Amino acid sequence: MEKQHHIHLVPGDVGETVFLPGDVSRAKVIADHFDSAEFVAQNRQYITYTGMYKNVKVSVTSTGIGGAAAAIAIEELIKVGAKNFIRIGTGGAMQTWLPRPCLLVITGAVRGDGTTREYFPPEYPAIADLDIVEAMLKSAEELNIRVHTGLECSHDAFYAGSTLSKLDILTIEKPWIDAGVLIASQEASTVLALSMARRCRGGVILASAGCHQHPDLSASDEEMVIAISNATKIALETAVKLNNLDHKN
Amino acid sequence: MNKEQHRQHHIDMVEGDTAPTVLITGDPGRVKVFADLMDESWKVAQKREYLTYTGKKDGVLISCTSTGIGPSSTAIGVEELIRIGTKNIIRIGTCGAIQSFLKPGEMIIATGAIRGDRASEEFISIDYPAIADYRIVRALIDACDRLKVPYHKGLIRTHDAFYMESPWAIGDYKARLQKWIDLDVLAIDNESSTIFVIAGMQGVRSGTVLLSGYPIFEEHNGDLNQEENIKKLVLVGIEAAKILHEKGLN
Repeated sequence: MEKQHHIHLVPGDVGETVFLPGDVSRAKVIADHFDSAEFVAQNRQYITYTGMYKNVKVSVTSTGIGGAAAAIAIEELIKVGAKNFIRIGTGGAMQTWLPRPCLLVITGAVRGDGTTREYFPPEYPAIADLDIVEAMLKSAEELNIRVHTGLECSHDAFYAGSTLSKLDILTIEKPWIDAGVLIASQEASTVLALSMARRCRGGVILASAGCHQHPDLSASDEEMVIAISNATKIALETAVKLNNLDHKN
Repeated sequence: MNKEQHRQHHIDMVEGDTAPTVLITGDPGRVKVFADLMDESWKVAQKREYLTYTGKKDGVLISCTSTGIGPSSTAIGVEELIRIGTKNIIRIGTCGAIQSFLKPGEMIIATGAIRGDRASEEFISIDYPAIADYRIVRALIDACDRLKVPYHKGLIRTHDAFYMESPWAIGDYKARLQKWIDLDVLAIDNESSTIFVIAGMQGVRSGTVLLSGYPIFEEHNGDLNQEENIKKLVLVGIEAAKILHEKGLN
């Protein structure tokens, strides 16, 4: 098979579980948590490392920002053999009661993005895979890392829906805040809905430095490095559990 | 404030009338099936289509409330149950199975629902996902395993107009359903997306288990054994309620 158009990968290049950070530089950070890792390919914002963790072949592919870019990565990764997609990312929390920083295991996503609207009618729900949610919660418990579970709100325009927006975001986000949605980010609805439709597993774990109501109270960069490292540890243990579910019975 | 002032307008109940887990079903007649399957049970309230029994099974307190057909009456029932302190809402219902591999007597456990209803849109925009709480999904799976009842887990579709998407519909109902079949939707019902949205927005756990029949496009003369299968459906709901109780989710 010719290598995929954007990710430049061929079958065999990735494990069944692929971690999907948005940030290009985070691919290396995540790969550094594997027991072993090798650089596989890079084209545009798509960098892939593959390696082993506890004898399970795992990969990380950076997607760049947004649903549009994430959907390309997922479609092409499926063609080269990926089955489980775990987004490891960051976002802006929407609930003041969350700790700063916090780690969130996402159970579903508000579909405020355009990419999934092109794929699916708006009433189609973006749901995290049950196996992934349960494996993440079990892993967090085993690692003694505190996580919260709930919904993410995915959207497309960072400068409309972030603390750096010139718009009144707390008014825009009020329906989601009132409905208990935990965090705003950009890719969960794509990762979850597209994984469902392609009969793959999709999951998301997010770290947040602080909430949109109190941007001044955000956690430090150093604290966020630890939070993302913890998210990666949970994601890796999740990959092992998924491997056990699929191959050890 | 006097407890009576909190008596809910339609379900005609106050806090304490129901268990932490309430099974809800469209058909008031099915509440009686529930009542008969419990070790002991008593009628709590009846008003319009809302009939409630509470009872005990293996020492666990569980309630069952009928809501009538459709999102409008279900939205009222769910909102009022939440207002009297319900923690887990599990819909036990029937449906139109739309995947050819489904068989009568199998359970369909919903992970989420296509929001084809209009009631939930009055609460929040269509972007918000109608998803079943993962702990209820797990409880329903474990309940089916314990009772050795075959099940399928996946997406369902909720809509308002029964006579648009059922075998008795006018015109080509299969053409209307084809896009949902292609998206792996297992079955069609009239209530679940409404329940998931209203409960989800308020941090209340909800889920759905549906009894499959023959796929609705297929000609068949087989015996549905519906009465026995309805009992199995209710027993799955009761077992799931017990599991939630065992896990301290109440």
